[in-house]
Amino acid sequence: MIEMHQLAAALYLGAGIAAWLGVALPAPQLGRVAVGVLGLGALIHAPAFAFLHNAEPPIPITDLPAAVSLMSLLAVLFYLALLLRVRLTGLLVLVAPAAFLGVFFAALRLSDPGDPSFAGAGSWPHAHVVLASAGFAFLGVAGLAGLLFLTENRRLKTKKFLSLPLPSLEALDRVNLAALALGFPLLTLGVLTGVLWVQTESGRPWTGSAHELWNALGWALYAGLATARFAGHQGSRSAAAASVGAALFLLFAVVGVGVLA
Amino acid sequence: MKVLLVGLSHRTAPVEVRERFAVEDPGPALTKLARCDELEEAVLISTCNRVEAVVLTRTPEAARLRLRSFFGRDLAPDASDAPDFDRFLYEYTGGMAVHHLFRVASAVDSMVVGEPQILGQVKQAYRLAAEYNAIGPILSRLFSRAFATAKRVRRETGIAERSVSVARVAVDLARQVFERFTDKEALLVGAGEMIELSVEALRRDGLSAVRVANRTVAHAEELARRVGGSAHGLEDLPALMERSDLVLTCIDRLRPILDAPLVAQALHARRGRRMLVIDLGVPRNVAPDVNELADVYLYDVDDLQEAAAANAEERRRETLRAEAIINQEQQRFEGWMSALEAVPTIRHLRARGEAVRARELERGLRRLGLTADQRRGVEVLSRAIVNKLLHAPVTRLRAELEDESGIALLETARVLFALDDASAPGAEIDAEFDPGQNGDASLEATDDSVDDV
Repeated sequence: MIEMHQLAAALYLGAGIAAWLGVALPAPQLGRVAVGVLGLGALIHAPAFAFLHNAEPPIPITDLPAAVSLMSLLAVLFYLALLLRVRLTGLLVLVAPAAFLGVFFAALRLSDPGDPSFAGAGSWPHAHVVLASAGFAFLGVAGLAGLLFLTENRRLKTKKFLSLPLPSLEALDRVNLAALALGFPLLTLGVLTGVLWVQTESGRPWTGSAHELWNALGWALYAGLATARFAGHQGSRSAAAASVGAALFLLFAVVGVGVLA
Repeated sequence: MKVLLVGLSHRTAPVEVRERFAVEDPGPALTKLARCDELEEAVLISTCNRVEAVVLTRTPEAARLRLRSFFGRDLAPDASDAPDFDRFLYEYTGGMAVHHLFRVASAVDSMVVGEPQILGQVKQAYRLAAEYNAIGPILSRLFSRAFATAKRVRRETGIAERSVSVARVAVDLARQVFERFTDKEALLVGAGEMIELSVEALRRDGLSAVRVANRTVAHAEELARRVGGSAHGLEDLPALMERSDLVLTCIDRLRPILDAPLVAQALHARRGRRMLVIDLGVPRNVAPDVNELADVYLYDVDDLQEAAAANAEERRRETLRAEAIINQEQQRFEGWMSALEAVPTIRHLRARGEAVRARELERGLRRLGLTADQRRGVEVLSRAIVNKLLHAPVTRLRAELEDESGIALLETARVLFALDDASAPGAEIDAEFDPGQNGDASLEATDDSVDDV
């Protein structure tokens, strides 16, 4: 199972390297190879994640490494689904390395024992982790699309015009918007189920833990971002910059705070 | 047999010379070439940048003179009077001719390196030669290898990947900004040829609407009719800008016609939807500070030309990789040609072996007085011995003829087996394998026959 995670991480890394070479050379066919390698990585990653339940002892989904593995898998699957509708092969230069880092982190830490306080909390922990992980994954893809948008926007504004096989600004902006539209509701549901979980465990909805505090702040940040974006008060460049900042904040809130704790 | 290529191109002749050699109807010219005694096969390639005759000949020197005279007398009779007419023509023989043809078909020798038209033009020349029965198996093979080489070059190098014209660069640029054009509207400010060329490529990608604004509305109407759009006067610009995702300008004005406040106002009305502005005018039609606005991407003609020049340079770098492929393919073709030369020798060798076997068998059988069964047995035995003895040299000859050393081996075989010695045993069958006729035998051969011998 850990070995399968390591193999998936290696394939994601391979996809990332192929994607970068595809852009740098430039060789669009390498981009297509990278997509294939990423898909293969996902095919190995999905059962690797599913087998966590069969591990001895079983690794709960509420463990941070397991949750990070799930986020990486969902981000990859979301990206592959987007590829069916938008020419996004170039975004792989960011998606594949991010997926590699997530799975690599998970593979390194999966052998650590889980937090026993999560045991026996019913279905809320599962609902919370699945929904919040899906929200983080989608918003993470929004952040990556935003980052590439900012790079591309700068390149085109400064007239460093090269025919690189990267997605158009319009495609990146659409992905950013779609990922926000899907990710924010999932994040909201994740926060709500988290509140219900805490309520079930401790009899009150808020215990004031660092995890709750940082995630509440992250949700508030995204609430502001989504409001500005969907109300049409934000141009695509500032929306891209905001989604990069918010994704970094959320990364710290989920992984950084979890590791520090 | 030698491949010979004589011609002129943009590299050796200015346009005023090239246009005098242009072949409007290649039919009569091909017929004339096909009738020349010195030429076995011929193809005539005629484009706006080159006129070349590719021929197969047994007498290169005579064919060379014939082709020079053909260029002077038949293609451009008025040009042949000029004393320096000859200096525009170049000649390539053998491997050099093959190499040159492969370069031409692969667009490595083109004025715009990597341009896609030349391959179609060479294919057309080949089809015409076939139609006029001017081509045979060897040039057919040569041209089919030229087409395969061109495809390899396009597939394995970036020679054709980057746009080198301002119009194509503009389209590439638009593709980096917009995902699709089917929901995009374009505004053309000006009604000249440059703007029409640039919008044509975008229209092929499915622009949803094109509007033309011009000082003279009648000119705008003309262009609008050609590009399937609507015509407007310049006073409509503010309203038109609000609806336009792509703005192309090329109008004769001393001052910019689009400034930052006007574009900012349009952007505000568009609620920040991005806009690509391509200014092809000189002097510039769009104020440079328009590029400072968020969601607007302004490119002027210098930016596009710079990109086109950089792409052209990149293509030229890719020609090094293309040359390597061309060299490989040239060697393959020359290997095939060499193998053709072995066909008569191998047939001769086998025929000589068979003649000797038959004669010695006949002599022996007369003395031995065997039964019919015994005779058959000895005959089978003699055949097996000859075949086994010849198997190794024949196989080796075929294999070695893939490279130049094989030619020497071919000569060695002829000496060792005394194929050219009239007094050698079995020499009475040599008449049909006269070395002077080797070429004829080769011409009969195709790919398969070379392998089958």
